[in-house]
Amino acid sequence: MLKSSPTCCSFCGLPLRNEDERTSAFSRLRLGDSPSAKPQAAAADEDSQPLYCCFGCRFAAGVTRSGGEQGAAGWSLTCLGVSIFLSMNVMVFTMALWTQDFYGPDAADPTSTLLRGLFRHLALLFALPVLLLLGWPLFDSAVQGMTRGVYSTDLLLLLGVLASYLYSVASVIRDAGPVYFEVGCMVLVLLTLGRWLEATGRLRTREAVESLQRLLPERVRCLRDGVEVMLPAAELQIGDEVRVLPGERVACDGVVLHHPATLDEQMLTGESRPIIKEIGDPVYGGTLNLESDFVLRATAIPGQGTLGRIVELVENAGRTKGRYERLTDRVSTIFLPLVVVVAFTATTFHALRGGIDSGILAGLAVLVIACPCALGLATPMAVWTALGTAARSGVLFRSGEAIETLADVRTVLFDKTGTLTTGEPVVAEFVLHASEDAVSVLHEASRLAAGSNHVFSRAIRRFAGNAATTEQSVHTRPGRGLFSVRSDGDNSYLGSPQLMEEANLLAEGEASCAIREAMDGGQPLTCVGWAGAVRGVFVFREDLRPGAVEAVTALCQLGVEVRVLTGDHRRRAAVIAETLGVPVEGELLPADKLRAVDEARRHGPTAMVGDGVNDAPALMRSDVGVALGCGADVTRDCAAVCLPGDDLLRLPWAVELARRTVRVIRGNLFWAMVYNVIGIAIACSGSLSPVFAAFAMVVSSFLVVTNSLRLRDGVESQRFGEVSLNADRPGG
Amino acid sequence: MMFESLLIVAGGLLGSSHCVGMCGGFVLALGGSSGRHGMLTRQLLYGFGRVFTYVCLGAAAGFAGWRMSASLRTLLDVQAWLCIAAGVLLIGQGLHSLGLLPLGRLTTSRAGCLGPPLFGSLLGATRARSVFLGGVINGLLPCGLVYGYLALAGSSGGLLGGMTVMALFGLGTVPVLALVGCGGGLMSLTSRGRLMKAAAVCVVLTGVLTIGRGAVFLTSSTQEPGAACPLCSNVQ
Repeated sequence: MLKSSPTCCSFCGLPLRNEDERTSAFSRLRLGDSPSAKPQAAAADEDSQPLYCCFGCRFAAGVTRSGGEQGAAGWSLTCLGVSIFLSMNVMVFTMALWTQDFYGPDAADPTSTLLRGLFRHLALLFALPVLLLLGWPLFDSAVQGMTRGVYSTDLLLLLGVLASYLYSVASVIRDAGPVYFEVGCMVLVLLTLGRWLEATGRLRTREAVESLQRLLPERVRCLRDGVEVMLPAAELQIGDEVRVLPGERVACDGVVLHHPATLDEQMLTGESRPIIKEIGDPVYGGTLNLESDFVLRATAIPGQGTLGRIVELVENAGRTKGRYERLTDRVSTIFLPLVVVVAFTATTFHALRGGIDSGILAGLAVLVIACPCALGLATPMAVWTALGTAARSGVLFRSGEAIETLADVRTVLFDKTGTLTTGEPVVAEFVLHASEDAVSVLHEASRLAAGSNHVFSRAIRRFAGNAATTEQSVHTRPGRGLFSVRSDGDNSYLGSPQLMEEANLLAEGEASCAIREAMDGGQPLTCVGWAGAVRGVFVFREDLRPGAVEAVTALCQLGVEVRVLTGDHRRRAAVIAETLGVPVEGELLPADKLRAVDEARRHGPTAMVGDGVNDAPALMRSDVGVALGCGADVTRDCAAVCLPGDDLLRLPWAVELARRTVRVIRGNLFWAMVYNVIGIAIACSGSLSPVFAAFAMVVSSFLVVTNSLRLRDGVESQRFGEVSLNADRPGG
Repeated sequence: MMFESLLIVAGGLLGSSHCVGMCGGFVLALGGSSGRHGMLTRQLLYGFGRVFTYVCLGAAAGFAGWRMSASLRTLLDVQAWLCIAAGVLLIGQGLHSLGLLPLGRLTTSRAGCLGPPLFGSLLGATRARSVFLGGVINGLLPCGLVYGYLALAGSSGGLLGGMTVMALFGLGTVPVLALVGCGGGLMSLTSRGRLMKAAAVCVVLTGVLTIGRGAVFLTSSTQEPGAACPLCSNVQ
């Protein structure tokens, strides 16, 4: 199901080019048209008439749309098939004529003269329908494009083909002079085939994203008033309760009710791994339910939740233009008028030299070979394919430019907390003061901790088993900790050693030992105390994310310099440096981190990996911001790359994909430009037959398409398993 | 020459068991749809579509071969070398079918983006012209056997010669494929295998004969290359 928005092609779904994006000289000639008027006009037409980005898509839509009902072949297809048949006949007749011509017209031999006349007329008879069948749709499409401000060589090409036809018809009527019907036929057939090939190729670039969209089931089991009904997913509303059976996919974002569930979130993370969701945890549309059925309450309607946002992100990414595409656009701006001038020059030159027919053929050859289809496809195809492949593997690029920049990256800076580490510390040690009762100290600590959402507070509450739930008036002292009034009237405090000092709480004995050791080792700690003494000390441990070490190693192997930035104590930083094997800068304030980014950027493009929220300034300062820990909130604006699965190993993979993509783009561009330049040169000299030019054009498009589609491979994660709710199984 | 023509037909006839392996699915798909025309009519239309394509390709090959030999006459005996090249191709194809010569697949599985949609709709169609067109397109699909015979057509020395060679070959392939399309499974797997082997031998034989002809051309270099082929008399 393709989203048909006003600025997208109705067939391939990719952005329509309009005159906003082109600064061609022609569009400036049109007075009285404001650029903003065009998209509106397109929107108005959307319902009445589908819009296509090019003739190829129009043709392909004609094939797929009208085909399939009771096996009737579409009109487009029949046109092409019949044209191919007719053209083959014309080729045979032409070759027979060539055979005759080689030996010179023998006026004395009546048979050969008769045959000659016969073949010429047969060629005419078979060639004219081709002009109508294939030439008319091309003309129509070119004119439609012009009304949208998109100019191409199509109209001129048609003019050249028409000219060759007219000349040949004149030759037949005069019964003198060569005929070139095969040129017109073959050019038309090959042009149509080439464009269709490109359209199909473009459609294939969307396969990855489409496979994501297909993950949503079409029917859901909704519990309404306690009764389970099967509804089309479109009728689901926020707040509805939905039951999902094992093996089915979740239809929409929601919250788990009643029992925990085990899900596979491959569509988000790119990896198949069972994740346990407790009651109250969020689940995402498109994920796979693994073990037992569960009920969720919908928090978004299908298609507008996380999956919908991901798809939208990828599609928006395809619309922005990166460096290479802008270069191509600049080249195309001068290319088109240049080609027209060259074609006319060639036509005139050869017409004066060798007759009108030489001129027509030379001009036609120039136009055919100069067709910038390959050039126009070179970058977008590679970028779109890469975007889709990445999205399917748990890496979201916000634009094609992000891919290009990531490929060039020389340095990667990691923020430590929440990025390299899980961000959720655990209590490693709990030290009691003298003969305190563990239970009461824990109770007091978690009572205080309940008043804050700080990571340490959460860790303490987890450690305490989430026992205390009441939080009466817990106050925060910023940068220091929490305090509250106890039942006996005294204040109790939970916070850093500085808070203990300020509250005149003494640390003695084991508590004071623990504090000292932790601070020496650079470990984070929190104390809890009241009535003049520190009662307990919590020492925390921050675990590195799984895969952190491997990811850093992989990046180093890719030739990228890796550094870690953290606000932690220097000693802690040293410990981390040893584990990871890369330099770690400690005790950095936020401003220092920005400085570090600037410093790194002096040596080359720099990527900053961090938490999308806390590290936003640093992410924005870098050339490529990589956001982790955004979970399902993929619309955060500051990062060019988003890893919703929080899997650090995706980063080296993403860098490799980006590099491969840039290599493909460069290859495509090089080939397209070289082929165009050499081809035009040969065509100008008059040595290139338009038929060979058309062949070369098809081959060139084919090469660009195939080269770009190579980027679909190389995804090591498994393919999605498809379980459709539509298969009505007996017993529900 | 008569013998060689028969051999070409036989190559096509028996070679169609090779065709059944590759293109059998297509003719079976033809049979799937019902329509105004009978099953046999559809199969024959399809077959003739293929033959049409082969004949056109043969014309092109024959023309190209003749042109090359005409323009390079002083440099080398193009026709002789074309014969030899054709023979080598045919022998190679035959040996490959016998399993004696492992070569890569000639068809590209990756990039055939056009094949499925173009083909599928035409095959599933019921109109006569669509079925015929399906056959025409099928003839354009890459096939090692066809290339081998095209090379032979190229060496035949002219437009008509090339067309004749491919017409003979094509007509040879029609009966078996049409029957398969109609009946679905006339031959058992083992007999099909044996038939394929016999076909491969035929192809190899044709290749050997062609090389022989090329050798004759080479050794008798004073002789006009085209003269040996009665089909090309109108070219002279």
